[in-house]
Parts: sequence; C-alpha cells; structure tokens
Amino acid sequence: MGRASGAIRRRGRATTLALVVGAFVVATSTARADVTTERSASILVFPKVISTPATASKLATDTIIQISNTSNSMAFAHCFYVNGAPPDPSQLPSSTNPPQCQEIDFDIFLTKQQPTHWVVSTGRRISSVGTSDQECSDKFHDCNGAGFDPGAIPPVSDFFTGELKCIEVDSSGAPINGNHLKGEATIVTTDGDASKYNAIGVMGLNTNSNANNSDNTLCLGGGVTPSCLTGAEYNACPDTLIVNHFAAGANDPVINEFASGSAVNTEVTIVPCTEDFENQVFGAAVVQFVIINEFEERYSTSTPLVYCWANLNLRALNPVFTQAFLGSRFAQTRMYSATPDQSGILGVVEEFHSVSGGNQTRDALNLHGEGDRPDGDSVVLPGGF
Amino acid sequence: MRRCGGIRLWSVIAALVGASVAARADVASDKAAAILVFPKLLTDTSNAPPGPRGQIDTLIRVSNTSAQPISMHCFYVDATPQCPSVAALRTCLASPLDCVANGCTSQCQEIDFYVNITALQPIAWLLSQGSSECSLTSPEDVPCLPLTSDNPRSDGESNQGSRIPPVPKDPFIGELKCIAVDANGMPVERNDLKGEVEITRVQGNVADVEGYNAIGIPAIPGANQGNSDTLVLGGNVCNAGTNAGNVCSSAADCPSGNCVSAGEYVGCPNILVLDHFFDGANDPVTGQEVTTDLTLVPCSEDFLTQIPVATVVQFQVFNEFEQRYSTSRTVTCFAEWPIWTIGGSQTMRLSIFSAAVMGTLTGQTRIRGVAIEDPTFGHTLLGVAEEFREGGGSAAFNLHFSGSRPQSDYLYYLP
Repeated sequence: MGRASGAIRRRGRATTLALVVGAFVVATSTARADVTTERSASILVFPKVISTPATASKLATDTIIQISNTSNSMAFAHCFYVNGAPPDPSQLPSSTNPPQCQEIDFDIFLTKQQPTHWVVSTGRRISSVGTSDQECSDKFHDCNGAGFDPGAIPPVSDFFTGELKCIEVDSSGAPINGNHLKGEATIVTTDGDASKYNAIGVMGLNTNSNANNSDNTLCLGGGVTPSCLTGAEYNACPDTLIVNHFAAGANDPVINEFASGSAVNTEVTIVPCTEDFENQVFGAAVVQFVIINEFEERYSTSTPLVYCWANLNLRALNPVFTQAFLGSRFAQTRMYSATPDQSGILGVVEEFHSVSGGNQTRDALNLHGEGDRPDGDSVVLPGGF
Repeated sequence: MRRCGGIRLWSVIAALVGASVAARADVASDKAAAILVFPKLLTDTSNAPPGPRGQIDTLIRVSNTSAQPISMHCFYVDATPQCPSVAALRTCLASPLDCVANGCTSQCQEIDFYVNITALQPIAWLLSQGSSECSLTSPEDVPCLPLTSDNPRSDGESNQGSRIPPVPKDPFIGELKCIAVDANGMPVERNDLKGEVEITRVQGNVADVEGYNAIGIPAIPGANQGNSDTLVLGGNVCNAGTNAGNVCSSAADCPSGNCVSAGEYVGCPNILVLDHFFDGANDPVTGQEVTTDLTLVPCSEDFLTQIPVATVVQFQVFNEFEQRYSTSRTVTCFAEWPIWTIGGSQTMRLSIFSAAVMGTLTGQTRIRGVAIEDPTFGHTLLGVAEEFREGGGSAAFNLHFSGSRPQSDYLYYLP
C-alpha cells in the first residue's frame, strides 16, 4: 500500500512537474515567437527580389543576394524562388492576369563563417576549374565569381518579381534548427541607384535539443495540430506589421529644401508565411490596413486576397493613403491578416522619392513586427523522389 | 525525501523561469522599444559651396505604437569634428584620414530635448530645422507637430510642450538616443517607440535617399530600479554570497548565491555582424565601384558628466574563401569610417577591407567592443552601415547582432 501510495505520489508529482514544465514550455515558446532582421536564423525570407529588363519607362533592375554562415561549422540551405510575376508582366496583376506563383528550388552550402553572393538574373555557376569561375584568373581575382562556390544557383527568368526563401538543412537535406544564416538583398537599377534590406529570419526553437522533427512540414509557431504533431519548430510570424511612411504623393521635405519639388510613393511587398511547395499551394490572406495620420485620425482599408506575392503601391491601392485624403505628410500603417485562419504575412517597404524635373531614388526599410500569430503557419517542402 | 523531491521540482521550475527570462526580447530594429538609438545623423545644408556629396539633411521619423500617449527624452550627441574652417570640416567628414592634417580635433557634446507624442501618432522632423508645434507661420515644407495646444485631440491630448531644437552646427554629424519617459520625465517600461532615419543628398535636381531603422532597446517589465539618472542595460550580478554584486555569467560564479539579471533594459549585443562588399569591388550589376562606411556608437554613455570612454574594437574579417583576417581600432563616443581605413591603411588597395587584397567581392565582418572590468561603463556597441556606388546611389542597412554579455551598459543623465 505504502509502495503503491508512493508510486501514486511520484506519478502525481511527475504529472505536476509535466504540467508545470508544459506550461513553461508553452509560455517560453510564446514569448520567443519573434521573427528577426538582425539575428541569424534557420529560415531566411527575402520578400522582394526583382529582375526586370529595361522598358520605355523603367530602367533595368536586378537584385544582389548576400547570405552568410555565422557559425563555425558547415551550413546547408535549401532555397526557393517564388515568381510572383503575372503571365503578362507588362500589365498589372489582376484576376485575369494573376501571379504565376511558380517555384524553383536549389541548394547552397557554406563553409564556416563564409559569406557568399549572387546576382539573381545570372545566378552563380559552379567553377569549372578549382574554386573560381572561368572569368577569374590570377590577375583578376576580385571578380564576381571569386570565392568558394556555394552551389549551382540558377538564374531567374526575365521579368522575375517574387520572393526568395532559404531553409537551413543538414547535409542530408533534412530541416534543422541551426540558426546559422543571415542575409541581405540589394535592389539595383542600372544607373546605380540602390536600396538594401535585411532578410527576415525565422529562428528555429530550442536549438540545443533540435526540436525540429526534420520532416518536410516546418511549423512556424502555433500548437500541436494534425500537420504539426510536435508543435512549433520555428518562431511564429508576427501578428501585425507596422510601417511608418510618407502619405502617397507627399513631398520630401529634404528634397524640397534643396530642389524645386518632389513626391514620394511607397510600395509594400507582402508574402505569405504559409507555403506548400509540395503541392504548389500558397497561403492567402486579405490584408487589413489601419492607417493613423499625424492628427491621430484613424482610417482603414484592405486588399483583395493576396496569394503568394503582392507588391502594393499604396497610391494605387487606395486613395486613403494619399496626402490629399490623409491631410498629413506622414502616417503609421498597421497591417494584419483579416482572419486567424488565413496565412500570416511578412514584408518589406520601399520608398521612391522623385525630384521635380530630376531623378527618382529608392530606399528600402524592414517592417516592424508586433505580437505573434497564435495559430501558427507552416511551410511544406517538396518530398523526395 | 519528499522534501527533496519538492526541492527538485522547484529547481526545475526555477530553471525554467530562468530560461524564460533569458528568452526575453532582444535589442532589435524591427520591434518597438523603450530606447531608440539612431547611430548616424548628418546634415550639410550650405549652398556655398555644396559638399562633395551635395547638400545633405536627415529626416527623423518616430511613431508611438500604443494607444496611450508617451513622451521621449532625447539626446543628440554632437560628434562634429572641430576644424579651422568649414572646408576643412567637409574634407575631414569625407575622408577621415585627412582630419588631423586639416587641423581637426574630435569632440562629443550632448544636447537634450523632450517630445510628447499622442496615441499611435507618427511624427517627423528635419535634423537641420528641428520642430515645434505647427502654427500659421510654420513653413509649408518643414514638418511640424500638428496637435497643438490650440488644436488638441478631442480628449485633450496634444504635442504641447514639445520643442525639438535644430542641431547646433551645419555641417553636423552625430547620434540620437531617445528614452521613453512619463509626463514627469521619469523612465517608463513601455516598449512603444519605433523610428526610422532617411539621409538625403541632393545635387541640383538629382537626389539620393538612404534609410535605416532606429535600433530599439526594450525595457524589461518590472525591472525598473527607480534610479532615474542611471539606466542599466543588461548584465548579470550575483545576488548573494561571497561574490555578491559581482558580474557573473552563471550560478557557478556565485557561491552561496544566484546569478540574476541586473538590467532594467535588455543588454546590447556582444558582437555586431556586417555583410559587405569589400571596398573597391565592382558592383556585379552596374560595374560601379562600391565602398562601405561603418558607423559605431557606444551603448554606454554619460550624458551627465560628458566624459566619453574609449572602447577598443576588434574586427574579424572573412572573405568568400573562408580566409580570416583581423584588425582593431578605438571608438570614443562616435566613429564613422570608410571600412578600408579601419586597419590603418593609407590607401584602399592595401587594406584588408579592399577587394584587391581579399580576392572576393563580399565579406563578413564580426565586430566586438573589448570588455574590461569596469563597473561603471560597458563596452558594447551599436551601429549602421552605408553602401556607396561611385557615380550612383547609396543604401543604408542595419547590422546583425550576436549574443549578449554579462557586463551591464549604463546611460547616465539628468532627468
């Protein structure tokens, strides 16, 4: 009896301990549910990647990707380009000209602390001799292809406007929570104007114990679900994205200080957190916008369903973003998925400052995040053959 | 035995509490926070003659992300070198190696001000102009604070009492730190501020804009020690035992005591990580030569006695062949360097930050302020990088962070 009683007590204590531990694990994973643009992570998201040739009204634009391994061991990643350009890229995306959402994937590997880079229009070829590309030689060593090849990186198609996502894996290709990757994207036009942003990092949880079950379903936040049997493996996407921006068409006070006039327009690029690369099904969300002007007056609007990739020009999206409507030069806009069952969203903002009778210049900023999505998101990798 | 089991249970709980404390928010430029750091601000508005990169000014944007009004106590750190002439100053700013030859000496001076922001309100101001409540005589093109005492919100909230001074010099280079405070100017544990900077250069009708996010240092809820003139950023100390009050990394450092958090705010990162083009590399898209400027500011600052403290900075540089190099410099109050000058080289082609020496286009540089045993001053750093294309534009971007350290940083000021 005494032994049985002790066993029950022990079981009771173990149950209590399990509950307490469980509660803290939940609390801890909730508290840690942040994506980051400044810490090494296990998933890198580059929301805006552009490679477009010159047109009558626009200069050719290309994107340079930089990725580094911040650890002292080899790092491997499985990367996906998602082309969000519509079939007719000369027309704006619409219901009759929807984004292609075409995915293409490749692998990269980096030695300890190795940085690498490539231009998305050309990719990066494997060297035919040693570790340098053919264009490099003893006399021309700081060439584009110099350095250890990170793998064969394919070029994107012409008129590529989309996303790049890289997922840290082990040498066998199984996802791991290494948190060893950081990255930047530089969008460059042929006149040398450039904007640069940090890749968004989604950190793997419990790196020491590798809580990742290494299956093809990556669970970003949330609890135990039929597709996420062990719960969250990565941090959750933010509940709300926040951007400070110029009202559409407002002048830039610095340019006006020195030149005859100016106007600023803003583009917000949105990508879903949920993506199924196996079935080519991408998360979709109606994005709700709450806009607060300098008078603390509040307005709201929303997008049609965003599917796989959307580049939202605020002026074209809704007149509520214009200075004429807002009545102030600056605004704070908060963005979130309309309902919890829709995909979470990530993004980046780019501003275009035009000088009257002069040039246009661009700069990019990472968005701020707030809160975390309680129900989580998932990324499904293609299965083996 | 049962008691022992209880102790074990509570040990586990304590360990988990410790773990959850350790997992609190980090210093970040993508989350709202209680302290905002803008490492680099720049203005040079003069028309006669315009500087090497044209006329320059900085737009600072800050938002309150909460539904409650908030106030900020802000400090400009004027790091403009003192030079015998404006021409010498411009040469010094464009080429730091020429500062001494032009008779320039470094300096570090603080100017503070208060700003009141209403719920969810975005505000902005020009570095060269400052800002105050809007009035009928306010210049149309200069941002001002619109919720005035005569034109408040329906609930009476306004920007009344805010006056942002223009910086005292033109040209000016320096830093801005803003701390969330209450109506009495006392620090508050509210992680509600976010900010951005846009530095714009204009030459004729050609403009170039670069932007970066302010770095946010979150307050730790419940940790404010009520010492209004000293803010403690991060760090751990032993709470009892023979090493009580000493810096610790773990409980093993604290016989008969525990290693507990000492910070009222989250600690600054141990290491900064910069991915960059090596100077002189040709942009693979445009073919233009790329150079990078790095700005570093200390996390610890003494605005009370205005005594800057020097921090030795170690740089570890990796190229795309995984080849490693290192060098060091000293930062006192503020530093802005073209990266090729960091190693003391007089010409770019001989620097370990040049593409010609490193043999690849891009690199990764890890930056660490050297910690010393100083109970009054930490030696972590924050910073921002800017990329310039010769004949083209520029782009600014935030650095990455790695780790934290057991020593605290301190902000001393007069509330």
